[in-house]
Amino acid sequence: MSAADRTAELEQLIAEFEKSGLRELHVVRDGVEIYLSNDAGSIGLSTGASAAPAPSSPVSPAAAGTVPPSPAADSLPAAETWPEGAEIVRAPYLGTFYRAPKPGSPAYVEVGSAVTAESELCLVEVMKLFTTVRACSDGIVHAILSADGALVEADQPLFVIVKG
Amino acid sequence: MAIARLFIANRGEIALRVARAAQALNIETVLGVSEADRDSAAARLVDRTIVLGPGPAARSYLDAKLVVQAAKATGCDALHPGYGFLSERAMFAQLCEDHGIIFVGPQPDIIDALGDKLRAREMASAAGVPLVPGSGEIGSAADARRIADEIGYPVLLKAAAGGGGRGMVIANNGEEVEAGYGRASAEALAAFNDGTLFMERFVPEARHVEVQLIGDGQGKVVHFGERDCSVQRRYQKLIEEAPSVAMPDSLRAALHKAAVDLAASVDYRNAGTVEFLYDVMRQEVYFIEVNARIQVEHPVSEMVSGVDLVQQQLRVAGGQGLSMAQDDVVLSGHAIECRINAEDAARGFTPVPGTITRWAPPEGEGIRLDSHMSSGAAIPPFYDSMVGKLIVHGKDRAEAVSRLTDALDDFTVEGVPTTIDLHRQIVRHPDFIANAFHTRWLEQVMLAEPAIAAE
Repeated sequence: MSAADRTAELEQLIAEFEKSGLRELHVVRDGVEIYLSNDAGSIGLSTGASAAPAPSSPVSPAAAGTVPPSPAADSLPAAETWPEGAEIVRAPYLGTFYRAPKPGSPAYVEVGSAVTAESELCLVEVMKLFTTVRACSDGIVHAILSADGALVEADQPLFVIVKG
Repeated sequence: MAIARLFIANRGEIALRVARAAQALNIETVLGVSEADRDSAAARLVDRTIVLGPGPAARSYLDAKLVVQAAKATGCDALHPGYGFLSERAMFAQLCEDHGIIFVGPQPDIIDALGDKLRAREMASAAGVPLVPGSGEIGSAADARRIADEIGYPVLLKAAAGGGGRGMVIANNGEEVEAGYGRASAEALAAFNDGTLFMERFVPEARHVEVQLIGDGQGKVVHFGERDCSVQRRYQKLIEEAPSVAMPDSLRAALHKAAVDLAASVDYRNAGTVEFLYDVMRQEVYFIEVNARIQVEHPVSEMVSGVDLVQQQLRVAGGQGLSMAQDDVVLSGHAIECRINAEDAARGFTPVPGTITRWAPPEGEGIRLDSHMSSGAAIPPFYDSMVGKLIVHGKDRAEAVSRLTDALDDFTVEGVPTTIDLHRQIVRHPDFIANAFHTRWLEQVMLAEPAIAAE
């Protein structure tokens, strides 16, 4: 991909993000990491997942107790943002998103990982209930849309899988 | 030295419960909270609150050094860990002692010993407490059959290195033992890289019965009767009652003695619970483990004994000793506790955080509610789903069940789904009313019934 194409794609991604109503978007793709946020208090992911804002961000009781409505499917970036046939893997419920089975372990998958429908992608934990999220389709992990340790909402898109 | 200022290293209903007990003893209270709990009911009740860190427990309630520093910085001379979190970590108890803070719990080495299942089993055996009949390492399928014939069927073949049900086979006769041996060993080898097996008697219809006690750390131990906690889902207790009416009186006395002997043999200090499996068909009890902390279900023992167990915990920790002898403990009537969880039964009991928009609990004679909830209260996503415990007391089990049924009908919670509906169904079920259930009854029988499963 040329630099011009990449710039055009980035501009399109930002435009789609602004229209989407999403609060945050984290994409790692082809060696480029992009973190977009509508939250003025948010910290960028300039140094990778370890700088992820959500795990260290205090959650106020009000924020924790008042669960905002889940983003509807139509609030996703438009399908053309992703390659044809992309599958979106979503959070089963509101909870904490973990990319590895336990602290210090390697992540289940990275961008570019080949997966089958049964492949484990992440854990989502709410109130001590851990649920393994699987790919549910064969393909390549095209994008990871949340930071490790972040609080995700029910149905929030977590992964983009593209048939490989 | 009586405790002057207590640090409460917990949250939710148990933080509230400990704060009330401490205040009744004129002890100052300091609560360590996460940012998610800074406006909680316990935070409003205590004399002072200190914020430990952000919502995730690993960065607040589970950070042992941080918690001890907070206790020290606020001038506390004692720390109550509640249940869960750091309550049974020997390292944490030691850290408190190293900083001159009284840990309201057992001695660190006792926590360590009781937390190791094999060592606890050895301690129980040394104190003459009955263990489930079993074997050591088994060398072959033929050996397995011979041992099973001695133990009596059914038996459970278990992986020595196991856990989580893997490498485990139930066998009802000699043929099944021989056939299952190879299968269990291969599975254990694949799962744990160790194919070693041992065997235990399998109890198909077990009741979970536990004895509540308190030791003063100098060999004096008083028990407060037993509780039956057999209504469980995925090994999580839902309903607890006292006494266990399934048990004959002769066995009950032996159970109490076994628990007290075990605690006394190690000079146990603190409130504690000795857990047993009661084999209904054989009318035998087997030791399972010791919980070296105050438990969620302690209120049912308080309701039948009239003793405030948390106050006694604080007295013992402060070196004042127990305020009663065994003969002073009079158990009367029957108490039942329901754990109310913010869970959506229709979605596989998924916990649901959110805001309680209406909280209208029942009131009346024989009703107690231990909860940190109220209308407008937030349930953060970081901790467990229990939002309260409804406890009732009656002159006998029938009156307690009737009172509980009415109380559950009068309990309104809006804003998040709760297990109140499930409890309403349980307490009306003929098996529950007849006291005819066991530890797997809820999942195997009640939740499997079409009318329940459809909901």
